[in-house]
Amino acid sequence: MGSVSARRLAKELREIQSEGCPVGITLVDASDFSKWLFTIEVMGNSQYQGEAYTLQFRFDAQYPISSPAVQFVVTDGKEAPVHPHVYSNGHICASILGSEWSPVLSVIAVCVTLQSMLASCKKKERPADNDRYVRTAPDNPKKTLFHYDDDT
Amino acid sequence: MSTTRVPTINDLRVKLCYICREEERADQPSDNPPRAWTHPCNCTLIAHEDCLLKWIQSSQSNPSRAPNALKCPQCGTQYEIESDEPVILRVLASGNQVLQRFGRYFTVFGAAAAVGIVGTSVYVCLTAYGAWAVEQFIGKEMFDLILTDDPINWTWSAYINLPLLPISLILSRFTSGTSSMVIPSLLVWPPAPPVGERSRRLFEYWSKPENSSRIRDGLLPKYYWPPPPILFGVVGVPIVRSIYRHCFGNLYYKLLGTPMPTQRRGARPGLRFNEGPLIIRIRAVDDEGHEIGQDEEDGHPADEAPAPPAQDGAAAGGQDANADPNAAAVQAAEQLIEINASSLGRRIGGALIIPAIASTMGTLLFRLSRRSSLLRAFLGLRGRKATGLLPLPPWGRLALFPEEKELNMPWKQLSVFQQTRVGLKILVSAFLGGSRTWVDSDPVWWRNAVGFGLFVVAKDCIHLLHLWLAKRELESRRVKDRDFAGVDIRELDLLPSFAELI
Repeated sequence: MGSVSARRLAKELREIQSEGCPVGITLVDASDFSKWLFTIEVMGNSQYQGEAYTLQFRFDAQYPISSPAVQFVVTDGKEAPVHPHVYSNGHICASILGSEWSPVLSVIAVCVTLQSMLASCKKKERPADNDRYVRTAPDNPKKTLFHYDDDT
Repeated sequence: MSTTRVPTINDLRVKLCYICREEERADQPSDNPPRAWTHPCNCTLIAHEDCLLKWIQSSQSNPSRAPNALKCPQCGTQYEIESDEPVILRVLASGNQVLQRFGRYFTVFGAAAAVGIVGTSVYVCLTAYGAWAVEQFIGKEMFDLILTDDPINWTWSAYINLPLLPISLILSRFTSGTSSMVIPSLLVWPPAPPVGERSRRLFEYWSKPENSSRIRDGLLPKYYWPPPPILFGVVGVPIVRSIYRHCFGNLYYKLLGTPMPTQRRGARPGLRFNEGPLIIRIRAVDDEGHEIGQDEEDGHPADEAPAPPAQDGAAAGGQDANADPNAAAVQAAEQLIEINASSLGRRIGGALIIPAIASTMGTLLFRLSRRSSLLRAFLGLRGRKATGLLPLPPWGRLALFPEEKELNMPWKQLSVFQQTRVGLKILVSAFLGGSRTWVDSDPVWWRNAVGFGLFVVAKDCIHLLHLWLAKRELESRRVKDRDFAGVDIRELDLLPSFAELI
């Protein structure tokens, strides 16, 4: 593992362990520096009240220069939240994971952003092109060139 | 003093790289060698210079991130990069951009050019064909007068008429029964003024006073035959055609015992072509206004006369037989023939070869006319012109049309009434007499038109003969009867009379 990415991830992990995660976000697994798992719950009044989703981060050696590959886990009976920007295979259409990614963001910052994305959802529905996308989607969501059509 | 001092990166107690998240304390300079730090924007973010450069470089090479590569992710300030960027590198980079832009333009213009080239070459082919067809039809002599081989001499209308010629020839094959339009479309040329070098020489020759006086003296004969081409095309051809259709219809009826169908193709809407393994069917919207499906065989309204596909021809034949057995037989025979006569290429090729056929038939007639003075008169053939004389300029007679004095006066001196009169006269004479181009030249067009007419007649007759023979063959068909040799007698339920004989 590249030293820069390992050192940075180690530092982020240390911060999580010392300061704890924000409310509703729980670190499930960070046993190595290639894949981390979190659970996300939306606090307060929202469409997703009482539901917990598992979020998976995959890092490559270029992290944080290159963005992490982030998606919801849809195996082992887990499901992706029904949301206009979340495909049923767990892939997420969010600009901060693609063109808006920057090293100033961190794993926790991504978790918080996605949590607020769910919290602000007005109507539970899949993206319009869900079926077509899921049929042809690559394994790694970073290989998809998403078209970000709004900021919600 | 201290208030005016602005802190820099070196004044920070703890430096934290926003990219790699490593920190460096001023009181314990740990790393060796020390790494350079930078504060590139207006907010509190700082970074190792090499981390930031790496991030910028990676962003610049990613098309979706490139626009924001030089912006601070937090405050949006534009980073300023200083580098050894020699002029030549800048030139190369901007040159690259320009080339990229030109490349895009080239894609667009290239596509347009490709379309243009294809279109132009099609146009050139059509025009070349048109010129060839006209030459075939009106003969070399007149072709050299009014069109010539050199496109530079052509009038602008030639560039429209010529390419339309093959198209109208082909179209004439697909609209029912209008082969009569072929000849008029080849005769649209008469108003064309003569062009080319030869014409100019003729004009100079005949405009000399001593020569033009010879025309005035009536030295040259007047020709009233063959008929003027416009008149012939507009009036003569339809008359001849309708007379011919009538006669041919009579012959058809006598031979086949059923009146000739008004439409040769029967009631099937659209066209059907048989290209060997490939059957092309183009269907039009039928009378009721609804479109008939691509492969729908039973889509016809019941009251229309069915034009059955070949495989169930027998059934339809039987239905028609109630009305007229002869018509059914003819229809069946037509189907037998048409199976081998409906290729698209055959129709288009047949249309395009018309000028050559006309020319060949005209030449044939010309040869035959040497043996018959009657034919020579009919074809309007003239003896050689008087020796030493150049042929009359094509516009000659029109120019010195009448003895009338108006024409000898300058146009501007004529009254309005006189101007109208002269104009009308020229118009009428052009219509009735054709432009003199046509009257004074060897009337190749006439013998070609007659020849083509004969060819059509011969073709129709051959078709009729074919039809008649096919019909007779159909009517005379019998299935050969055989005895039961080789069949076990016990399996047959035989009459007692047969059993007795054994």
